[in-house]
Amino acid sequence: MELLNVYQNNYLIVFVFLCLGVLLPVVALYLGKLLRPYKPSDAKYTTYESGIEPFHDSRVQFNVRYYIFALMFVIFDVETVFLYPWAVAYDKLGIFALVEMLIFVAMLLIGLVYAWKKKVLRWI
Amino acid sequence: MIFTGEFLAFMGLALVAIIGGVLLLNLNKVIHMVVALIFTFVAIAGIYVLLSAEFVAAVQILIYSGAITIIMLFGIMLTKHDDESEAKSGKWRKLFLFLGILGFAFAVYIGIYNFNVEQVPTKLHENNTLQIGEALYSKYIIPFELTSVLLLVALVGSIILAKNDKKKEADKE
Repeated sequence: MELLNVYQNNYLIVFVFLCLGVLLPVVALYLGKLLRPYKPSDAKYTTYESGIEPFHDSRVQFNVRYYIFALMFVIFDVETVFLYPWAVAYDKLGIFALVEMLIFVAMLLIGLVYAWKKKVLRWI
Repeated sequence: MIFTGEFLAFMGLALVAIIGGVLLLNLNKVIHMVVALIFTFVAIAGIYVLLSAEFVAAVQILIYSGAITIIMLFGIMLTKHDDESEAKSGKWRKLFLFLGILGFAFAVYIGIYNFNVEQVPTKLHENNTLQIGEALYSKYIIPFELTSVLLLVALVGSIILAKNDKKKEADKE
Protein backbone atom coordinates (compact mmCIF):
# COMPACT_ATOMS: atom_id res chain seq x y z
CA MET A 1 0.00 0.00 0.00
CA GLU A 2 2.71 2.45 -0.92
CA LEU A 3 0.28 4.52 -2.95
CA LEU A 4 -1.93 5.14 0.06
CA ASN A 5 0.98 6.74 1.88
CA VAL A 6 1.66 8.98 -1.09
CA TYR A 7 -1.99 9.95 -1.12
CA GLN A 8 -2.02 10.80 2.56
CA ASN A 9 1.26 12.68 2.45
CA ASN A 10 -0.09 14.84 -0.35
CA TYR A 11 -2.71 16.10 2.05
CA LEU A 12 -0.03 17.39 4.39
CA ILE A 13 0.36 20.31 2.00
CA VAL A 14 -3.39 20.93 2.18
CA PHE A 15 -3.15 20.83 5.95
CA VAL A 16 -0.31 23.36 5.96
CA PHE A 17 -2.32 25.69 3.74
CA LEU A 18 -5.38 25.28 5.97
CA CYS A 19 -3.33 26.17 9.03
CA LEU A 20 -1.89 29.21 7.24
CA GLY A 21 -5.40 30.28 6.25
CA VAL A 22 -6.67 30.03 9.81
CA LEU A 23 -3.61 31.55 11.44
CA LEU A 24 -3.17 34.49 9.07
CA PRO A 25 -6.27 36.48 10.15
CA VAL A 26 -5.79 35.51 13.80
CA VAL A 27 -2.15 36.63 13.88
CA ALA A 28 -2.85 39.74 11.80
CA LEU A 29 -5.71 40.87 14.02
CA TYR A 30 -3.77 40.10 17.21
CA LEU A 31 -0.71 42.01 16.01
CA GLY A 32 -2.95 44.93 15.11
CA LYS A 33 -4.37 44.87 18.61
CA LEU A 34 -0.86 44.84 20.09
CA LEU A 35 0.45 47.69 17.97
CA ARG A 36 -2.41 50.16 17.88
CA PRO A 37 -2.98 52.64 20.70
CA TYR A 38 -5.96 51.95 22.91
CA LYS A 39 -7.58 55.10 24.29
CA PRO A 40 -11.34 54.63 24.29
CA SER A 41 -13.76 57.45 24.89
CA ASP A 42 -17.54 57.67 24.58
CA ALA A 43 -17.45 59.90 21.52
CA LYS A 44 -15.35 57.37 19.61
CA TYR A 45 -17.87 54.61 20.13
CA THR A 46 -20.87 56.43 18.69
CA THR A 47 -22.02 55.35 15.25
CA TYR A 48 -21.12 57.85 12.57
CA GLU A 49 -24.17 58.87 10.55
CA SER A 50 -23.24 62.15 8.88
CA GLY A 51 -23.68 64.12 12.06
CA ILE A 52 -27.21 62.90 12.67
CA GLU A 53 -27.87 61.24 15.99
CA PRO A 54 -28.19 57.50 15.32
CA PHE A 55 -31.56 55.99 16.07
CA HIS A 56 -33.25 52.60 15.60
CA ASP A 57 -31.44 49.31 15.10
CA SER A 58 -28.74 48.96 12.49
CA ARG A 59 -30.00 45.52 11.46
CA VAL A 60 -32.93 45.12 9.13
CA GLN A 61 -34.92 42.03 8.38
CA PHE A 62 -34.25 40.84 4.85
CA ASN A 63 -36.90 40.02 2.33
CA VAL A 64 -37.70 36.36 1.69
CA ARG A 65 -36.86 36.90 -1.96
CA TYR A 66 -33.13 36.77 -1.28
CA TYR A 67 -33.59 33.42 0.43
CA ILE A 68 -34.93 31.91 -2.79
CA PHE A 69 -31.73 32.94 -4.54
CA ALA A 70 -29.72 31.13 -1.87
CA LEU A 71 -31.91 28.02 -2.18
CA MET A 72 -31.55 27.97 -5.95
CA PHE A 73 -27.83 28.39 -5.57
CA VAL A 74 -27.72 25.29 -3.36
CA ILE A 75 -29.78 23.25 -5.80
CA PHE A 76 -27.61 24.15 -8.78
CA ASP A 77 -24.54 23.57 -6.65
CA VAL A 78 -25.72 20.01 -6.09
CA GLU A 79 -26.25 19.68 -9.83
CA THR A 80 -22.65 20.76 -10.42
CA VAL A 81 -21.50 18.09 -7.98
CA PHE A 82 -23.24 15.47 -10.11
CA LEU A 83 -21.73 16.86 -13.30
CA TYR A 84 -18.22 16.57 -11.93
CA PRO A 85 -17.78 12.74 -11.76
CA TRP A 86 -19.68 12.47 -15.04
CA ALA A 87 -17.17 14.74 -16.75
CA VAL A 88 -14.22 12.85 -15.27
CA ALA A 89 -15.54 9.42 -16.29
CA TYR A 90 -16.97 10.60 -19.60
CA ASP A 91 -14.47 8.76 -21.79
CA LYS A 92 -15.34 5.42 -20.23
CA LEU A 93 -19.10 5.85 -20.17
CA GLY A 94 -20.10 6.61 -23.73
CA ILE A 95 -23.31 7.90 -25.26
CA PHE A 96 -25.74 6.40 -22.75
CA ALA A 97 -24.35 8.50 -19.91
CA LEU A 98 -24.63 11.58 -22.10
CA VAL A 99 -28.35 10.93 -22.57
CA GLU A 100 -28.77 10.36 -18.83
CA MET A 101 -27.05 13.60 -18.05
CA LEU A 102 -29.17 15.43 -20.61
CA ILE A 103 -32.31 14.13 -18.86
CA PHE A 104 -30.87 15.27 -15.53
CA VAL A 105 -30.08 18.76 -16.78
CA ALA A 106 -33.45 19.00 -18.52
CA MET A 107 -35.22 18.17 -15.25
CA LEU A 108 -33.47 21.04 -13.52
CA LEU A 109 -34.08 23.31 -16.50
CA ILE A 110 -37.80 22.73 -15.92
CA GLY A 111 -37.29 24.05 -12.40
CA LEU A 112 -35.38 27.05 -13.69
CA VAL A 113 -38.07 27.83 -16.26
CA TYR A 114 -40.70 27.51 -13.53
CA ALA A 115 -38.78 29.96 -11.35
CA TRP A 116 -38.47 32.29 -14.31
CA LYS A 117 -42.17 32.15 -15.09
CA LYS A 118 -43.05 32.75 -11.46
CA LYS A 119 -40.90 35.90 -11.62
CA VAL A 120 -38.71 34.77 -8.76
CA LEU A 121 -35.54 35.69 -10.58
CA ARG A 122 -36.43 39.35 -10.90
CA TRP A 123 -34.12 41.52 -8.82
CA ILE A 124 -35.82 44.57 -7.43
CA MET B 1 -2.94 1.51 20.54
CA ILE B 2 -0.44 2.60 17.95
CA PHE B 3 0.30 6.28 17.46
CA THR B 4 0.52 6.44 13.72
CA GLY B 5 0.16 9.67 11.79
CA GLU B 6 -3.29 8.58 10.69
CA PHE B 7 -4.41 8.10 14.29
CA LEU B 8 -3.09 11.49 15.32
CA ALA B 9 -4.74 13.13 12.33
CA PHE B 10 -8.04 11.45 13.13
CA MET B 11 -7.84 12.52 16.77
CA GLY B 12 -7.09 16.12 15.80
CA LEU B 13 -9.90 16.25 13.26
CA ALA B 14 -12.41 14.64 15.61
CA LEU B 15 -11.42 17.09 18.33
CA VAL B 16 -11.90 20.06 16.01
CA ALA B 17 -15.27 18.70 14.88
CA ILE B 18 -16.53 18.18 18.43
CA ILE B 19 -15.20 21.52 19.68
CA GLY B 20 -16.87 23.20 16.72
CA GLY B 21 -20.17 21.54 17.59
CA VAL B 22 -19.93 22.49 21.27
CA LEU B 23 -19.03 26.08 20.40
CA LEU B 24 -21.97 26.18 17.99
CA LEU B 25 -24.27 25.42 20.91
CA ASN B 26 -22.58 27.68 23.45
CA LEU B 27 -21.63 30.83 21.57
CA ASN B 28 -23.96 33.80 21.82
CA LYS B 29 -23.57 35.59 18.51
CA VAL B 30 -25.09 33.90 15.51
CA ILE B 31 -22.25 34.66 13.10
CA HIS B 32 -19.76 33.12 15.54
CA MET B 33 -21.94 30.02 15.60
CA VAL B 34 -21.75 29.78 11.82
CA VAL B 35 -17.96 30.06 11.92
CA ALA B 36 -17.84 27.24 14.49
CA LEU B 37 -20.10 25.20 12.22
CA ILE B 38 -17.71 25.74 9.29
CA PHE B 39 -14.87 24.38 11.43
CA THR B 40 -16.95 21.27 12.11
CA PHE B 41 -17.72 20.81 8.42
CA VAL B 42 -14.08 21.20 7.37
CA ALA B 43 -12.94 18.75 10.07
CA ILE B 44 -15.47 16.19 8.82
CA ALA B 45 -14.15 16.72 5.30
CA GLY B 46 -10.70 15.95 6.68
CA ILE B 47 -12.02 12.69 8.14
CA TYR B 48 -13.40 11.80 4.69
CA VAL B 49 -9.94 12.41 3.25
CA LEU B 50 -8.50 10.05 5.86
CA LEU B 51 -11.00 7.43 4.69
CA SER B 52 -9.75 7.85 1.10
CA ALA B 53 -13.08 9.33 0.05
CA GLU B 54 -11.59 12.27 -1.78
CA PHE B 55 -14.66 13.16 -3.79
CA VAL B 56 -16.97 13.11 -0.78
CA ALA B 57 -14.54 15.43 1.00
CA ALA B 58 -14.62 17.87 -1.91
CA VAL B 59 -18.41 17.73 -1.95
CA GLN B 60 -18.48 18.28 1.80
CA ILE B 61 -16.43 21.46 1.39
CA LEU B 62 -18.40 22.62 -1.64
CA ILE B 63 -21.93 21.91 -0.43
CA TYR B 64 -21.76 22.10 3.34
CA SER B 65 -19.17 24.74 4.13
CA GLY B 66 -20.12 26.63 0.98
CA ALA B 67 -23.79 26.41 0.18
CA ILE B 68 -25.37 25.31 3.46
CA THR B 69 -23.47 28.01 5.32
CA ILE B 70 -24.81 30.61 2.90
CA ILE B 71 -28.33 29.28 3.44
CA MET B 72 -27.82 29.62 7.19
CA LEU B 73 -26.48 33.16 6.85
CA PHE B 74 -29.54 34.07 4.80
CA GLY B 75 -31.71 32.44 7.44
CA ILE B 76 -30.00 34.59 10.07
CA MET B 77 -30.61 37.72 8.05
CA LEU B 78 -34.29 36.77 7.70
CA THR B 79 -34.86 36.35 11.41
CA LYS B 80 -34.96 38.80 14.25
CA HIS B 81 -31.82 39.02 16.33
CA ASP B 82 -32.95 40.81 19.44
CA ASP B 83 -34.59 37.73 20.90
CA GLU B 84 -32.52 36.42 23.75
CA SER B 85 -32.89 32.93 24.99
CA GLU B 86 -33.14 32.66 28.73
CA ALA B 87 -31.37 29.93 30.54
CA LYS B 88 -33.99 27.92 32.36
CA SER B 89 -32.29 24.84 33.62
CA GLY B 90 -33.08 23.32 36.94
CA LYS B 91 -30.85 20.96 38.81
CA TRP B 92 -32.96 17.92 37.94
CA ARG B 93 -33.07 18.84 34.30
CA LYS B 94 -29.29 18.98 34.12
CA LEU B 95 -29.01 15.66 35.93
CA PHE B 96 -31.43 13.95 33.56
CA LEU B 97 -29.64 15.46 30.58
CA PHE B 98 -26.32 14.17 31.87
CA LEU B 99 -27.81 10.70 32.43
CA GLY B 100 -29.28 10.76 28.92
CA ILE B 101 -25.92 11.70 27.42
CA LEU B 102 -24.22 8.93 29.40
CA GLY B 103 -26.80 6.40 28.25
CA PHE B 104 -26.44 7.49 24.64
CA ALA B 105 -22.66 7.32 24.81
CA PHE B 106 -22.86 3.85 26.34
CA ALA B 107 -25.28 2.63 23.69
CA VAL B 108 -23.11 3.99 20.89
CA TYR B 109 -20.01 2.45 22.46
CA ILE B 110 -21.69 -0.95 22.71
CA GLY B 111 -22.99 -0.66 19.19
CA ILE B 112 -19.75 0.45 17.59
CA TYR B 113 -17.03 -1.37 19.51
CA ASN B 114 -17.62 -4.84 18.12
CA PHE B 115 -19.35 -3.74 14.96
CA ASN B 116 -18.27 -6.01 12.18
CA VAL B 117 -17.89 -4.30 8.87
CA GLU B 118 -17.21 -6.63 6.01
CA GLN B 119 -13.93 -5.43 4.61
CA VAL B 120 -13.72 -5.34 0.86
CA PRO B 121 -10.27 -4.62 -0.50
CA THR B 122 -10.56 -1.52 -2.62
CA LYS B 123 -8.25 1.10 -3.95
CA LEU B 124 -10.39 4.15 -3.37
CA HIS B 125 -7.50 6.57 -3.33
CA GLU B 126 -6.69 5.86 -6.96
CA ASN B 127 -8.86 7.98 -9.25
CA ASN B 128 -11.62 8.32 -6.71
CA THR B 129 -13.83 10.56 -8.81
CA LEU B 130 -13.48 8.34 -11.85
CA GLN B 131 -14.58 5.29 -9.87
CA ILE B 132 -17.59 7.15 -8.50
CA GLY B 133 -18.49 8.39 -11.97
CA GLU B 134 -18.35 4.90 -13.44
CA ALA B 135 -20.43 3.39 -10.65
CA LEU B 136 -22.96 6.20 -10.57
CA TYR B 137 -23.66 6.39 -14.29
CA SER B 138 -23.78 2.70 -15.04
CA LYS B 139 -24.81 0.75 -11.95
CA TYR B 140 -26.82 3.30 -9.97
CA ILE B 141 -28.53 5.12 -12.78
CA ILE B 142 -32.09 4.99 -11.45
CA PRO B 143 -31.26 6.60 -8.08
CA PHE B 144 -29.34 9.25 -9.96
CA GLU B 145 -32.31 10.14 -12.15
CA LEU B 146 -34.56 10.10 -9.10
CA THR B 147 -32.21 12.64 -7.54
CA SER B 148 -33.00 15.03 -10.35
CA VAL B 149 -36.71 14.65 -9.58
CA LEU B 150 -35.97 15.28 -5.90
CA LEU B 151 -34.02 18.43 -6.72
CA LEU B 152 -36.84 19.61 -8.98
CA VAL B 153 -39.39 19.06 -6.20
CA ALA B 154 -37.16 20.95 -3.74
CA LEU B 155 -36.80 23.86 -6.15
CA VAL B 156 -40.51 24.13 -6.99
CA GLY B 157 -41.53 23.58 -3.37
CA SER B 158 -39.25 26.30 -2.05
CA ILE B 159 -40.55 28.73 -4.65
CA ILE B 160 -44.17 27.94 -3.78
CA LEU B 161 -43.53 28.37 -0.04
CA ALA B 162 -41.68 31.65 -0.42
CA LYS B 163 -44.21 33.01 -2.90
CA ASN B 164 -47.08 32.27 -0.52
CA ASP B 165 -45.37 34.27 2.19
CA LYS B 166 -45.07 37.20 -0.12
CA LYS B 167 -48.76 37.10 -1.03
CA LYS B 168 -49.75 37.07 2.62
CA GLU B 169 -47.50 40.05 3.27
CA ALA B 170 -49.13 41.90 0.39
CA ASP B 171 -52.56 41.08 1.82
CA LYS B 172 -51.53 42.45 5.18
CA GLU B 173 -50.40 45.67 3.60
